[in-house]
Amino acid sequence: METSIPKTSTILKTLLRADLTTQWRNRRAVILTLIVPVIILVSWKGLIPKLGGPFVLSNSITIGLIATGLMGYSNSIARDRDKGIFQRLRVGPLPAWTIMGSRIAVQLGMIFLIATFVFISGYEFDGVKLTTGGYAASYLTSLAGGLVYLSVGQAIVGGIRSPETVNATSRLIYFVFIMSGMFGELLLDEAGKVLHDIIVWSPYGTVKTIVAAGMEPAKWSNEASMALLVTFGYTVVFAFMGIRWFKWTSK
Amino acid sequence: MKEDNILTVDDLSVSYGKFNAVQNVSFSVRRGEIFGLLGPNGAGKTSTLSAVEGLLKPQGGTIIVDGNDAVAKPLHARASLGVQLQSTSFQTELYVIEVLQLYAGIYGVPMSKNDLLGILREINLEDQATKKFGQLSGGQQQRVSLVIATIHNPKLVLLDEPTTGLDPQSRRQLWERIEAIRDKGHAVLITTHSMEEAESVCDRIAIIDHGRVIAIDTPQAMVDKHRNDPEVIAVSRRGKITLEDVFIALTGKAIRG
Repeated sequence: METSIPKTSTILKTLLRADLTTQWRNRRAVILTLIVPVIILVSWKGLIPKLGGPFVLSNSITIGLIATGLMGYSNSIARDRDKGIFQRLRVGPLPAWTIMGSRIAVQLGMIFLIATFVFISGYEFDGVKLTTGGYAASYLTSLAGGLVYLSVGQAIVGGIRSPETVNATSRLIYFVFIMSGMFGELLLDEAGKVLHDIIVWSPYGTVKTIVAAGMEPAKWSNEASMALLVTFGYTVVFAFMGIRWFKWTSK
Repeated sequence: MKEDNILTVDDLSVSYGKFNAVQNVSFSVRRGEIFGLLGPNGAGKTSTLSAVEGLLKPQGGTIIVDGNDAVAKPLHARASLGVQLQSTSFQTELYVIEVLQLYAGIYGVPMSKNDLLGILREINLEDQATKKFGQLSGGQQQRVSLVIATIHNPKLVLLDEPTTGLDPQSRRQLWERIEAIRDKGHAVLITTHSMEEAESVCDRIAIIDHGRVIAIDTPQAMVDKHRNDPEVIAVSRRGKITLEDVFIALTGKAIRG
């Protein structure tokens, strides 16, 4: 007689409860992830009259998304893999995808939280208010953008086994994205066309474009549609690499 | 009788690239039996166990766990298994009671908070319920790991070197717990380096070396069978033939890995 196995929904619920509890107990890291975008928002207040609320808000959200995907997700996966936590889970009667699925679901929740924090802060500190459609579309584009960085994080832990090297690599890529994305766009006139295109069509640039476009859905452009396609492309490519290369143990 | 076999491994082969870690390994573990897998470092014990646990896909052979083919239906096979890995770790931010709750849920065993506290009470760790797993001593961690391995009342419990690093008192206690699992009618497969453990706890043992099983029998029968072998006598100490002497004679004196 075939042994019965628990329902996938039961397993997902159980894993989600554990992963959410773990995230909650890492409150300091969560608060840092939420605070940095708000700091950017407040410090760039002077740019709003010149560049607009969506420019500043989209940059803030994008920075938060990068932190979640690169620093939060990849480091926690690498650390837990090194401790053997995944191996212990894998010997249970649960499909492997539920282990990562639960982790990603928690990160999607974080993305929602980041966007909410930035919207509330944008309104309180900078007086930036969007339409209802703008808020709704921005949540969706934030989720789409967040998936890019989660997939980049997955590619990092797929290609690198050592948690220390994952940490160093994530920080380096985080720094490169932030510097080139944030300040590169401000210096575009001096940067030259090639550099301009690289920055605009980079993972930072495309995510920032779609998040900004989502804030004013009535002004959604062809460029935003193209950026959305490129964003999905990045997600697919990096996710494929990350899943294909991923090993469940660091040994 | 075959129906008493909870685990049947038949002609198992596991390779890592060109290296054959396990070659044509066959053995079975019966209901109500503690079966020991002994071997030097790199002999293929962990690879064999990993294949049974579903962590590795074998290149050949069959693994049947409680009637379920572990390769064709891995989830069903794993549902009948309780596992304690060699270096078990749980989510560091979770309290002990939350770890129990997690694994009870994964194995589909509904448990209330009182049920979980009751389990901890049985292993004298009720007052550690809200401590994190990493804050427990080695012996306490092994007790929690073992109780998690058996939380769903599995037909077969796999223990990978469970007493490594334990003091003698903790080790004895763990042996008693393992025997209690056996006495409840479960099958236990244990890997160990300790001959004392194999002799004290195991009903039958298999010696594995260079990926192959070279002997299967009860510890005493193995000693009796090889007692008069010149190689065994040559390595014995103070004239008394022990399981360790038989093991060294069969696997060689060279230090591995």
